[in-house]
Amino acid sequence: MREERDEMIDRIVDELKTLPAVPADATARVLARVDAARRGDGPGTSATDDDDVIYFPTNTEEMRAVQMPAGGSRVDGGLRRRFVVSLPAALGYALAATLAGFLIRGALPRKATAVAVAPSAPVGETSGVTTPLTRVAATKRDQQDAPVPVQFVLDAKRAASVAVVGDFNAWDATATPLVKDSVSGIWSGLVKVNPGRHVYAFLVNGREWTLDPRAPRTKDSDYGTEQSVMIVGLP
Amino acid sequence: MRVARCAVLLAATAVVAWPGQGKAQGTSVPLDSATAAVIAPIIDQARAARLPVDLLYVKAREGQVRRVPLTAIESAVRALAQRLYAANEALAPNPSEQELRAAADAMKAGVPVETLRAMRKAGKDGSLAVPLGVLTELVVSGVPVEKASMQVVDLLNHGAVPKNFIALNERVQQDVLAGRRPEESLDLRLKGIFPTLPQPAQATGDGFIQSTTPKRPR
Repeated sequence: MREERDEMIDRIVDELKTLPAVPADATARVLARVDAARRGDGPGTSATDDDDVIYFPTNTEEMRAVQMPAGGSRVDGGLRRRFVVSLPAALGYALAATLAGFLIRGALPRKATAVAVAPSAPVGETSGVTTPLTRVAATKRDQQDAPVPVQFVLDAKRAASVAVVGDFNAWDATATPLVKDSVSGIWSGLVKVNPGRHVYAFLVNGREWTLDPRAPRTKDSDYGTEQSVMIVGLP
Repeated sequence: MRVARCAVLLAATAVVAWPGQGKAQGTSVPLDSATAAVIAPIIDQARAARLPVDLLYVKAREGQVRRVPLTAIESAVRALAQRLYAANEALAPNPSEQELRAAADAMKAGVPVETLRAMRKAGKDGSLAVPLGVLTELVVSGVPVEKASMQVVDLLNHGAVPKNFIALNERVQQDVLAGRRPEESLDLRLKGIFPTLPQPAQATGDGFIQSTTPKRPR
């Protein structure tokens, strides 16, 4: 049995020697492994942990260097290393990383946890229990709180640009630019907005605050400015 | 090689952990350094209380783009944080971000926390974002806050859903634009809403709506 295996290994080694693309170093490594196997050393006993590392040349110069090592120095210093991990190990790493990530984040999403906050609880602390009832409640509430497409329209034929800014897009002038209809000259845009009452305005040419003539107006007591108002929800 | 493995694990962990942190810190709402510094303590306190701090960033951002003084921004953000604390308590156990935002708006319009509690109780498991928004709009339009609060709670007690509130608001706004008084319009339009609800109120002989649920004392 042992002799048959040695013959097979010899044949493999001979084949490897005939292949020009295989570096001489690789052949030597295979031979070293064979010797180690004969001595009974397992791959895990390798001090260099080489079992999951493959060295290979990346260009012709490196290939040449591998085939002609100079002065007995280690020749894989300039070679690229490739990390090879088995699938179960990779899945394990991914799972561990995900769990660690959630631990760092502190908790699962607020709605999913449905943890009751006692009115008297100190700041930063929560108390209470998760019940099926609150889970159902969160689900129904989520459905009713789902974003609704809202169309914004402004007649501003001479405007070079029009954007809508409001509490739904953090008053970001670049977030929701409107598009001009080439025929009518009317600017319009469709935006998904959470249900509820929202305040907004149009920003014409990047600097002129314009209220929506089609919507009611309100005065914001915080900043003393006028805004357009809309109530968003499925009709 | 083990160092490489650890590096990959740390990187993956950071990818999972950090997006939420970035959002919580309001990275989607760019602020100038002066504004960010002024509201930082308020943000920290709100985050410690598990409040949605994005709402505070949005309020600060609004002041910034409107070029209001820094002191006004700080004052507005602080006031909003206080309203959010109160709303979070009144709408317990687990208000959504939209509900908290709507409740804070309603409180700014003058709606008391007792109404928020009554709405949570009456609204059961439904979202209060739209009912609170309509209540705010009614009050801002000129309906007395006590009357508007009572009617909205009554609608919830009768099983009204967001679309009922939206219909009511649209009709009242049309009436107001046509010159009718908001309070008068509310009385009128409720007569058209209640019969459509799962638990309709009974109409009296004189045409007024008689609620089947006891009214909250004023």
